[in-house]
Amino acid sequence: MEILASLALGFETAFSPMNLLYCFLGVFLGTLIGVLPGIGALATISLLLPVTFHLPATAALVMLAGVYYGAQYGGSTASILLNLPGTPAAAVACLDGYPMAKQGRAGVALFMTTIGSFVGASLGIVALSAFGPKIAEIGLAFGPAEYFSMMLLGLIAASTLSQQSPVKGIAMVVLGLLLGMVGTDVNSGALRFTFGLPGLIDGISLVAIAMGLFGIAEVIASITNLKTGRIAAGSITLRSMIPTRKDLSSSWMPMLRGSGIGSFFGALPGAGASIASFMSYAAEKRVARDPSRFGKGAIEGVVAPETANNAAAQTAFIPTLTLGIPGDATMALMLGALMIHGIIPGPGLVSEHPDLFWGLIASFWIGNVLLVFLNLPLIGIWVRILAIPYRMLYPAILLFVCLGVYSINNSVFDIGVALVFGAVGYVMILLRFEPAPLLLGFILGPLMEEHLRRALLLSRGEVTVFFERPISAGFMTATVLLLGWGILSMIRRRRPAPPA
Amino acid sequence: MRNRDWSDVIGGALLIAVGLYFAIQAGAYDLGTLRRMGPGFFPRTLGIFLVGLGLLIAALALLREGELPKPRLRPFVAILGGILAFAVSVEWVGMIPATFLLVGISALAEPAARPLPTLILAVALSTIAVVIFSQGLSIPLPAYRWPF
Repeated sequence: MEILASLALGFETAFSPMNLLYCFLGVFLGTLIGVLPGIGALATISLLLPVTFHLPATAALVMLAGVYYGAQYGGSTASILLNLPGTPAAAVACLDGYPMAKQGRAGVALFMTTIGSFVGASLGIVALSAFGPKIAEIGLAFGPAEYFSMMLLGLIAASTLSQQSPVKGIAMVVLGLLLGMVGTDVNSGALRFTFGLPGLIDGISLVAIAMGLFGIAEVIASITNLKTGRIAAGSITLRSMIPTRKDLSSSWMPMLRGSGIGSFFGALPGAGASIASFMSYAAEKRVARDPSRFGKGAIEGVVAPETANNAAAQTAFIPTLTLGIPGDATMALMLGALMIHGIIPGPGLVSEHPDLFWGLIASFWIGNVLLVFLNLPLIGIWVRILAIPYRMLYPAILLFVCLGVYSINNSVFDIGVALVFGAVGYVMILLRFEPAPLLLGFILGPLMEEHLRRALLLSRGEVTVFFERPISAGFMTATVLLLGWGILSMIRRRRPAPPA
Repeated sequence: MRNRDWSDVIGGALLIAVGLYFAIQAGAYDLGTLRRMGPGFFPRTLGIFLVGLGLLIAALALLREGELPKPRLRPFVAILGGILAFAVSVEWVGMIPATFLLVGISALAEPAARPLPTLILAVALSTIAVVIFSQGLSIPLPAYRWPF
């Protein structure tokens, strides 16, 4: 069994004291920021990026990944107790979680979502270890044409699947691609769009752009929007968490369905955890014998989406690690962290850095076990943290943004870049443009240009190369279908849907 | 025409402007041919694409109703001002005074800002900043520097 040998290597890596420590730090921080509304995994990971410069690549990835899936656990706590989602993916958990809390069943809801999260994550990790290496093998046969088409598919999927308006999403992707062009062109050495500023010769700093868009802009928007909610349940005791037999019997099927739906949508580039949790809530409502119970504290409506988003958080690593294609903006930052350490993400990663790939997978198992302990016995701490007012938090966030951005190149100029993107990001929030596709485009921009140039050089300038090579043609067909579906659903909807 | 979706019209117009800048500026670089692309080719194409998308967004917005979002200037100015003060001062007077400026100015984002809790927060945060960043991550910023 090759996979068992690989997993053994993984656990050997993950159980080193250093990786264990960073795994714990990651999931602890992840739960913390997941619980707190107004700061998400994306902002936290961009804050931590500068810190990871001082770490070995595996420890860095273990910690960043821990923040990502740890936030999925913490996210539902605020949804259930305050009716305020801690993370976007936990928004669905408000629908039935908060009514459960009002009925005095907050403990049961918290317990069952934690168990569901663990089940979903476990099945997601199984899918990752089973399919990841196979997909990487297929990826080894890819040439520049395939890479270009695949990135195009990923970008179109990211902007059409998760956006309210596909056109606005695509516009943000294109804007991101253009911002990725700033700096020195690797092929010709020409300086592009630098405004004559020496600070832009190496391009716009990834950390500065991410912190501006997701750190500073979020703080500006949150100050006036966040009301501190009232906690629905007085105290959560361990005793109040014990589910009834009926709770258990009506939860295990939704958990399995949620895991399946989550694993599938997580692995698609561009879909991610939020889509997965909404899809699985919709599915539960459809199969329920009495759909009218939903929205009034149905346990299936809390368990299924929370299972789904945790499964998705794990399978999201499939395209990221095996093909080098990030599924969402957070995964794009993860790729950025790899590149900072000189590791080129792509199909070669599994075979060239098996300790990193399998060590990461093993750390997911460890991290999820840690999360169960962090979330059940320690729930009282998280409830108390929810009471910290935002006005004490945001100056701290701003300080970490400033020092974090500065520390990468020891440059005040980069703080200025973050400032500009903070302003841009706030304008985008006001005008309802989402920043995530922009960041995705920004990271993929230089890679896409490179592959486009190489593909056309090899084909002697024939654009048809993208449609003649079978795998590339497959990606192109999928892209066209997605675009068609996006346009169709836009026409059918006409009016923008209320923000999800 | 009064309650068209003006926010998307503004957004579309901004995208058109940015797209035009990139498309025109890309002309200053070598465009090359399809077979051997120069540094101007990809950005020129994307710039033109962005102009098209901006036009589409603005045009669609004129066909439907919408509300203009109300920008909140107070947090916008206070927070960006705090960061600007930090950026300008940090290499000049050091980390502790810059942190006080950042916390003090950004606290004004809340109309109900109170001086004493803000002061305590500034003391706590500048201590953390010095311990983690100067000592822990050895960033070459002094805790305090006499500029004259």
